[in-house]
This record gives sequence, C-alpha cells and structure tokens, in this order.
Amino acid sequence: MNIIEVNNLSFAYSEAEVLRNLSFEVEQGSFLAIAGPNGAGKSTLLNLLCQMLKPQSGTIVINERPIESYNTKTLAEKVAVVRQEFTPIFGFTVAQMVMMARTIYYSQLGFESETDRKIVTEVLNATDTAQFASRPVTNLSSGERQRVFIARALAQNTSILLLDEPTSFLDLKHQVDIYDLLKSAQIEKGKTIIAVTHDINLATQYADIALLIGRDGSYHIGKVKEVFSLKQIEEVFGVKAFSGTVGKENFFLPLGKFAKDNQNIR
Amino acid sequence: MLQLLTVKKLVYRLIAALIVLAVVMVLCSLVGSQNISLKAAFSPSSQTGNINSDYEIFVHVRLSRIILAAIVGAALACSGVIFQALLRNPLADPYILGISSGAGLGAIIAVISGFSWTLWGRSPIAVFAFAGAIGTVWLVWSIGKVTGKSNVTGLLLAGVVVNAFFSAMIMFLTSIAKSSQVHATIFWLMGNMSEEKFEVLWFGGGITLAGIIALFYLSPQLNAISFGEKDAKSMGISTAKTQTIAFAIAASITAIAVSLSGLIGFVGLVIPHAIRLVFGPDHRQLLPLSAVFGAGFLVIADTLARIIVAPAQLPVGVVTAIIGGPFFLILLIKYTSKIGWAK
Repeated sequence: MNIIEVNNLSFAYSEAEVLRNLSFEVEQGSFLAIAGPNGAGKSTLLNLLCQMLKPQSGTIVINERPIESYNTKTLAEKVAVVRQEFTPIFGFTVAQMVMMARTIYYSQLGFESETDRKIVTEVLNATDTAQFASRPVTNLSSGERQRVFIARALAQNTSILLLDEPTSFLDLKHQVDIYDLLKSAQIEKGKTIIAVTHDINLATQYADIALLIGRDGSYHIGKVKEVFSLKQIEEVFGVKAFSGTVGKENFFLPLGKFAKDNQNIR
Repeated sequence: MLQLLTVKKLVYRLIAALIVLAVVMVLCSLVGSQNISLKAAFSPSSQTGNINSDYEIFVHVRLSRIILAAIVGAALACSGVIFQALLRNPLADPYILGISSGAGLGAIIAVISGFSWTLWGRSPIAVFAFAGAIGTVWLVWSIGKVTGKSNVTGLLLAGVVVNAFFSAMIMFLTSIAKSSQVHATIFWLMGNMSEEKFEVLWFGGGITLAGIIALFYLSPQLNAISFGEKDAKSMGISTAKTQTIAFAIAASITAIAVSLSGLIGFVGLVIPHAIRLVFGPDHRQLLPLSAVFGAGFLVIADTLARIIVAPAQLPVGVVTAIIGGPFFLILLIKYTSKIGWAK
C-alpha cells in the first residue's frame, strides 16, 4: 500500500522555483532518503509533506486522503517531524519535552494519561535517552539532543516519520547510531521513514528507496542502487567522485580539484 | 521513573502556596501606622451601632487595598508568564509590547483634560488608562500581523516602535502640563495603590481569575510553543489560535491591572523567572504558582510602601523594583545550574 502519493507537485518561492512536477510514491513501511544539492528543494518538500507549506500545484495524498483534508491535529496523528533547527527556551527536561509529543492526547485538564507515560518511557528506552531524562534539553550534546528529538517524534506514535538532515553536526558514531535507531523503528514498528540527507553513503546503507532532486527541477526516484549511481551523482551535484563497492552497496567519495587523489580516478 | 508534573503534585503545591498567601495577607493587614487587632475588629461589641474603628480600618482600608494588590500582582505575574512564552523571550514582561506607554498616555490625557466624571465608579484616569492599554495592544498586534503573519520579531519591533512613540507623547504632554498635574501623573506612572470599593475588587478580581483559569487550559500548548511554532505545529498544536487567545487574555488582564493601580514594574518579570527557577518551566504549574506568588509579592511590596515612610506613602512600583532586583539576583545565583536559556 502507498502511504504517500505525490502527484505533479510544484512549488516556487517568490525568488525561485524549487520543485517542478514532482511525482513519486512511498510504500508503507519503507525508508526513503531524499538527497540533492543545497537549494534543490529537499527541505521544501519535507515542509510540503507536513503541511507547513501549501503546494502551488499538484497533490499530496497521505493514507489515501488528500493532505488538505487533514487539520493540524489529525495530521500530527499521522506524521511526526524532526527538524534541524533547534530553538529551545526555558529549561525543559528531556522527559518533559518528549511528553509534549502527547499533548494532543492529553486529558481535558491538560495532563498526560498512564498510556502517555508508558509510551514516553518506552521511547526513552528505545532511543537510549532514559539515562538523562531529567536533564534540561539545553545541557545535552548535539548527538544526545538529536536522539531526544527523534524520541519525541517516536512518542507521537505516527506511522510516518519525517527528518531533516538528522545526522548533520554528528560524529561518525552518533551518525550510525541515529541511522540504526531509524532503521529499528522501521523494522520493529513498521514506520515509514523519510529522511533528507547529505550523507549519500549512509543513506545507501540504510534506505530502501531514494529521491535525488537536482537544482533544475529534474529528479530521480527509485531503488537506492539505481538512483545513487556514480553518473547521476556527478551530474546532479556537479562534482567528480570516486565510487567503489563495500559488498552489497556502493560508496562515493567526492574529489575536488586540489584533492590528493583527484588525478587517480578514472 | 519519569519525573513529571502530576495533578496531585500541582494541587498540593497550589494549596500550600494559597495558605502562605492567606497568612501573608492577614499579617500585612495588621501592619500600618495605626495599630489594630483582629480580636478587637471582630469582637461582638461592634454590633452595638457605634463604629468599630478597628473593623473599619481592617476591612475597608487595609484589606481592600491588600486584595487589590493581590489581584494586580496575580494578573501581572501571569501576564508576564504568557508574554515570555509567546515571544519566546525570557526578558519579556507584560509591558513589552507597549501596554505601559499606551496606558500612561491615556492616564496623562485624563489628568490634563481635568475630567471629573466617573464611569462605573472608576476615575477618568483608570478608564483612559484601560482604553489606552487595550488600544495599544490592538495596534501592536495589527502591525505585527502585517509585518509577518505570526512572526515574533515583527511583533516585538512593532511593540518597541509604538512604545517609543507613545513615550515621546507622554513626555510632550508632561512638559506642557501644570506641575500639580505632572505630580499626579508621575505618581500614577510609578504604580500606586489605594483603597478600592469592594464592587471594583469583585469585578477586577473576577475577570483576572477567569483569565488565569482560561490561560491554565492553554498551558500544555504553551509548553509546546516554547519550542517554536514549527515544532508545536508538527505536534498538532493550532499555534495561531493558541497565540491569539493567550495574547488577548494576557493583554486584557494587564490592562485591568494597570487601570487599577498604574504601572507597577518588575512583578511581571521577576515572579515568572523566580517560579521557573525553583519549580521548572512547565506552564501548567508555572502559571498558577506565579499567580499566587505574584499576589503575595505585591501584597508585601505594597505593605512596605505603606509603612516605610509612614504616614506618607511610597509608590509601590518603587518598592517592587528595590526589593525585586536583589531578590532576583539571589535566585539567579543560587539556581543558575537549573536555567536552560543561560546557555
């Protein structure tokens, strides 16, 4: 079953057109990686999928219903978002923040139920964040904080999870931790994961399908291996790259003019 | 185990805080230039027809003023909580969007024009101050909307500009006013309490309480909104609706407080911070506790204003600033580890 269907989607800011006639489908329970150069419209697409922006033309269907038929609350029951920007204020603790994902399910008086507590305890354990549950969010390292934000999105208990560059600013260990976490949510909970990423190598290892968007409005969608081919990557990003294979999947190393191995590829 | 606020915890803390407030109010009503005793005030001999002066002073002079201080303190503290949450700015206070200058302008216009009518028992100063406050908030909100939907920066800038403009108007009017009028205005601008009729207290107190209760129901949403509008929206919160309602209520109770007692500073800034530092940022607790402690704080400050230079009186705004400043610094030093926004 397709949980998301995008048809002829176009979007332009007053300065520039970023998405042109984009169409693709996402099967329920799959992992989609969205890649492309800066300004290609990856984040725009993410914002369109969570109703933060309205499409200028084209349609988005979520769970067989057009996205316009959802309101803020009903969409939040289906889609959770993990953003890049972090604007914390006041010293809310990790537990308090993760619990906020349950706000729409609170009792009339504005308090969480036993179920809400159970869900939050569960996601804190699953994301390995329970150990600092009572620490203020502002006092965490960026790796810890990113796990907490994912925990909050998981606590929303949605079938779709959108992430905007979940591993930027993280070291290698934390990068794979995040991807392992997302993959386990996909496998164990059957969640549909859609992540915008610049890390094509990690995306190749974890995602099932990929969407590569170019700056000119062109795009490629399909199996990761087909979309992330050396030719397409060089074309879309405008770089020269070295490609090899690990075993099952390929990897890419972009090499600039002054890179030491620039002369050694092809 | 999750360390989270529960209804039980909240109710216990609230009851404890209310008991403290009640004790403070009674104690403060016994203090003053005239010595009175509770025993004499409520002794049966007062029934015989001759006036029991202890009772008169206790109820009509002291208690009415103390209740007024409590209402104003609660309103300003809650309003401060709301403005800090909505603007996501710990430096925000109830006056940040120009309510103070609008009310001040209204007040000085009333003083200069020398009206002598009353409206529902209120003086022209109070009526004009209220109108000025509400008008300014409406103006700032409209300008903020034009500059960028629900953009916080636009709102703040609109507030700063309107504030500066109205302050200039106030200074202009002050400079052309007679000196007796200037004195009345300055006293009002510094915040001033006096005895009020109980009808006024019922009315002001009722609206303030209703406003605070309504705000309490918005507090889970305010919690989410402190993480930014986008985040709150993704969590299913109708941010625009919540912001508009919270803003309207906070502005209204501030306008009422201002029309009752002039511009009393510091309460709306210090109390929310103090409560947040000690009890944490959860608005479901922050809001009711700020109301109670704001009330208690202003009752004490006003009592000090009555007695420090007795039989003369200080404007209570002077006292709130003098005791509020150091008090806040101590809290800040003691609990710095707890505050998140310091980073």
